[in-house]
Parts: sequence; C-alpha cells; structure tokens
Amino acid sequence: NRKGKGSNKGRSYDRSRRDRQRGSQSGGFGGPGPRSRLEDTDADVTMSDSSQDNSSQHRLKYDKKWLLPALQNICSVPFTFCPFSYFLAQSKYIGGVFYIESSCCLLFLSQQCMAKRFDGSQQALDLNNIRTDPDLVSQNIEVVLNRKTNMEAVMKIIEENIPELTGLNLSNNRIHKLDELTNLVTKAPNLKTLNLSHNELKSDRELEKVKGLKLVELWLNRNPLCDLFKDQASYISAVRQKFPRLLKLDGHDLPAPIGFDVETPTIIPPCKGSCFGSDEIKVLILQFLTQYYSIYDSGDRQPLLDAYHDGASLSLTTPYSTQNPSRSSLGEYHKDTRNLKRIKDSTVRFRLLKHTRLNVVAFLNELPKTQHDIASFNVDVNTFTNTLLSFTVSGVFKEVAVDGKSRESTMAFSRVFVTVPAGNSGLCIVNDQLFIRMATTEEIRRAFVAPAPTPSSSPVPTLTAPQQEMLTAFSQKSGMNLEWSQKCLLDNEWDFNKAAQVFTQLKTDGKIPEVAFTK
Amino acid sequence: TSVTVDFRTHVDQSCRYSEEFVNIYYDCMDKKRRNLTRLYLDKATLVWNGNAVSGQDALNEFFESLPSSEFQLQTLDCQPVHEQATQGQTTLLVVTGGTVKFEGNKQRFFNQNFLLTLQTEVQLI
Repeated sequence: NRKGKGSNKGRSYDRSRRDRQRGSQSGGFGGPGPRSRLEDTDADVTMSDSSQDNSSQHRLKYDKKWLLPALQNICSVPFTFCPFSYFLAQSKYIGGVFYIESSCCLLFLSQQCMAKRFDGSQQALDLNNIRTDPDLVSQNIEVVLNRKTNMEAVMKIIEENIPELTGLNLSNNRIHKLDELTNLVTKAPNLKTLNLSHNELKSDRELEKVKGLKLVELWLNRNPLCDLFKDQASYISAVRQKFPRLLKLDGHDLPAPIGFDVETPTIIPPCKGSCFGSDEIKVLILQFLTQYYSIYDSGDRQPLLDAYHDGASLSLTTPYSTQNPSRSSLGEYHKDTRNLKRIKDSTVRFRLLKHTRLNVVAFLNELPKTQHDIASFNVDVNTFTNTLLSFTVSGVFKEVAVDGKSRESTMAFSRVFVTVPAGNSGLCIVNDQLFIRMATTEEIRRAFVAPAPTPSSSPVPTLTAPQQEMLTAFSQKSGMNLEWSQKCLLDNEWDFNKAAQVFTQLKTDGKIPEVAFTK
Repeated sequence: TSVTVDFRTHVDQSCRYSEEFVNIYYDCMDKKRRNLTRLYLDKATLVWNGNAVSGQDALNEFFESLPSSEFQLQTLDCQPVHEQATQGQTTLLVVTGGTVKFEGNKQRFFNQNFLLTLQTEVQLI
C-alpha cells in the first residue's frame, strides 16, 4: 500500500493551506494538492490502514484534460447515486484545473477500483466477484471521514456497490460520531469486522448507532471513550452488551460469551392420555363414569339424583358465539350458559348456578338426549385428599333426536367433577361444571369408532373381494387392526392412497389411539 | 364447623375472587412467567395435557420450558366448593376456556380449571 503524496508542492498548495487554516491534523482535510499527474490509475494507490502515520492525506490534482474523459467514462456506469456529484461539488475549478478534495479524490479512486470491473462495451459492472475480490474485502478504506458528507458518500458506495462487505477500517479519521454508519446495519449486513480505532469517539453510546451489526471483531482503542471505563472488565462488558457476538476486541480474543443466542422454547409438551395418579383411583373413577353416563344417555336422568350430594352445585358454559344462539346446534345449551366474562349482573349469575340436587337433576333432565363416546373419554385427576376427589373428563357426544329424525351434531365437552367419598366405595358429586362446544373435524373423525352398544346391532356390511384385499393390505401397511383399517378406508371412499395419506397424517399428529393397533 | 355464610353471598364473592384471580394468573402466564409458581402451593399438582407436574421446583421448570404464550380468555365460570369436600376451608372451583397461542405453534382452544383455597392470599391447590 502506498500513500499517494504529491511530489511537488507548488505554491497553490501552500496558499490554500493557509486559506483554509486546517492545520496539519492527521486524517484532516487538506487543500488541493500539488500538481501530480497520475499516469496510472492503479487502484492499489488507495489506502493504508491503521498505521501510525498521521499524515494520511492524499492531495492530488488532476489535470482537466485527463479528468473529464475519465469522468465521462465512469459516470456512464449505471449507478443510481453518482458520488461524483459530491466530487464535483467539493472541487474547485480554478484556472483550468480541477482542484479536488482529497476525500473525493479517494472516492474517485474507489470507483476506479470498481471501474476495473466495469465492462465498457457492455456498460455493465460486474459485481459478482466483488465479494471475493481481495482488494475490496480485505482492503482498508481510509478516507477523510469526520465530515458527514464524505462519510455518507462512502456509505453509499458500500451500500450500492459492495453490500456484501465484511470488513471495514475507519481508523485514523478523527471520527467523533457514527450517525452515518447506521444504515450499514441493513445495507451491509455481512459486516463482521469494524475498525474504529484512533478516532474521536467520546462515549460508548455512539456505538448504539451501529448496535445491529453482527460484529465479531471490533477495534476501539485510542478513542476517548476508552478512558471512561474504570477497568478492562467494564469496558469489555459495555461493548459486549452492544455486540453480543463479539469475539475480538482491540485485537484481543475475548472469553466466550455466556448464554448468548439462547433459544426460546417453541415446543409444548406432548399430549398424553388420561392421568389418573393411581390404579385404585382409576378404577374408582372409571366405574363411576360408566354408571353415570349410562344413566345420562338413557333418556331419563332422574336416577342421577343418587349421584349428587344434597348441596350440590352445577353450572354450564358454552363458548361465546356470534351466531344467533337459537340457530346454532348449541342453542339448547346457550340459553343456560354461565360465563362470568359476559354476564355481570350478580342476580343473573346466581340464578344460572343450579343449587341443590333437585335443581341440578331437574336441569339436566331438560337438556337434549345424548350419546357419549365413553371410549374416547380422557380423564385427568386434579387433586385428591381423603375428603375430596376432583377430576376432569373430556370427550365427545352426539345429540340424539327423540323424534326419529337424525340430528347428527357432535359436540365436545370438558367436565369437572368435585366429589366426596360415598358410602359404598363410590363417589358423590358436590360440584359439577360442564363446558360444551362443537367438536372439531378431528374429534368427529376419531369419535365413535367402536360400535355403540345398542340392543339391536345392525348387520356388518359385506365387503366385495377387492375391498377385502384392500382392507388386508391396508391393515398390513398401517399396522392397524381390521376394524380401524376398515373405518379409515370407509371414511376415504375406499381410496387406498387417500386413506394412506390421511392415516399417515393422523399418525404423525399422534391422533390415533393405541387401541387401533391392537389385534 | 364453619360459620354459615349466606349461600348467595358466597357465590357473589366467589365470582369476584375468580375474576381477579384469572386476571393475575394469565397476566403472569403471558408476561411474568417466573411469578406464576408463587400462585401455587408447595404441594400443588398441575396436570397439563396429561402431563403431571408437582412441587414448586418441577412447576418452575415446567413453566420455564413452555414457550411464551398469548392467552385469550373467553369463558369463565366459578363455583364455591362444598364444605364437605374441603373440611371447612373455603375453596373455589374456577373453570376457564378460550384460545391460546404458544410461540412456534398455531393457535388452539384451551380449557383449564383451578381449585383455589382462600387463606390470606389466593392460592392454588
């Protein structure tokens, strides 16, 4: 890397220096440089990096004759933003000579670098190799960057020409703020190494402006901000807070960060079946439920009086529906729904709670006739003490029309029973809360697989030979028993492939009960 | 034997307690997951889709491992539990329903129920 320094210092140089009164600050802007003809526009002329040399000024003056054609050539490159508008704005044309500010000059040179890749005949700039081009990726770009416009221009060039930039060296530029770098976060997202050393950054808060960069390596030394920290640990900590992926700071490897990139959980525990807690309780509850529901489904619920405590309570809740209640299948249940989120009047709330077993059973008797799929029941024991056993039952049921017309509404329910021990190793209900909603298509599909116990069972339809064959094959392939295989095939109109797909999906979702596989 | 409280008053109070409780509970569940276990008694058991979890430590772990949630409570019901079951300790049965969206999963329906024992603070069995 060579630094371009004019070899001839002419009078114009000195005068402009005095006029501008910039002094000889490192990295500072200098006046137009000496007359120096660049015979070769070798891009390698650019930029040195974080060396100690303070006089990183580039003062070059281009002869107009040479410059204009060069400009024309480059301005024909299809950039939406032409840095040369800056370039021209900040140049002076004095006595037939363009005096160009060094920063703009360097922009010009950057363009030259890229112009190497410019195919004049195609008017196309081949940027495909830019990403792997060592000149750009590893090269430190050093320009006069404590001026907003210059910095902006550089950023634009990066954004528009080398957005895949991975390393950027901005050291030694008297930079005191990072406002113009903010867009790098989105426009140069691959930036991993940033060198801001030897600058004028006064507070680590400046770093907030580039916090989104996924930096792996950062240089901040020789900035006033470093002196603000009482020790190395707090310095590292403050920096790391902004750049959690940082591995190297000021050239030193950092200890591995703790707990970074913590994954947030997205998996919920798989749904298990009934949870009884113990076998005795399981037996007790299943016995109770079988008895309870055989009465409940029988058409006369009066005998349930024996299941309830004198002081029992019952309430029913249905989900809120925007549908006209009387028209929905849940209509019968909607009118007695007790939902404290919707009903605020305390008298209404009280009325909807059925209290004493007479009221409870009278109410239950008014509800539509049902047929529950006991095989589908899921039971979870909530809690038990020696005086209390509370469990939740969920499952599906069908509404059975009394008048012979089939009313095939399948509903799902969740029911909480709070019971106390009853004399003969039974249970007595003290609280009963019933939640009813429409069943989902999944639930309907899975429901009522086992033939319902009816006094007269309908004859099993005979299968044709091809159906028999399909059934055997399906049973073999799926692993399900014949009964379940037949059901699956029936549901899918004896389309083997369709049934197989449905089966596979349900199986993956864990929706096929174990009983389907028992032969 | 406990003091006989007018049943109507009992019911009214239960409703108010349950409303307050579910607000706290689901707020914790969605926004302050770590505070949730404070609502559970030491010997509390949670059964979640068939998974049984008991004791403060296990509960803590369980709630930490659940993805972040957004609960929409749609139904709420509450009954005072009969004293015969609770040996005089005032207890409420609270039943909720609605939808929930766990991060990384699609929205689902949920039903949940609680047994609350009123001591000095509202707690769960």
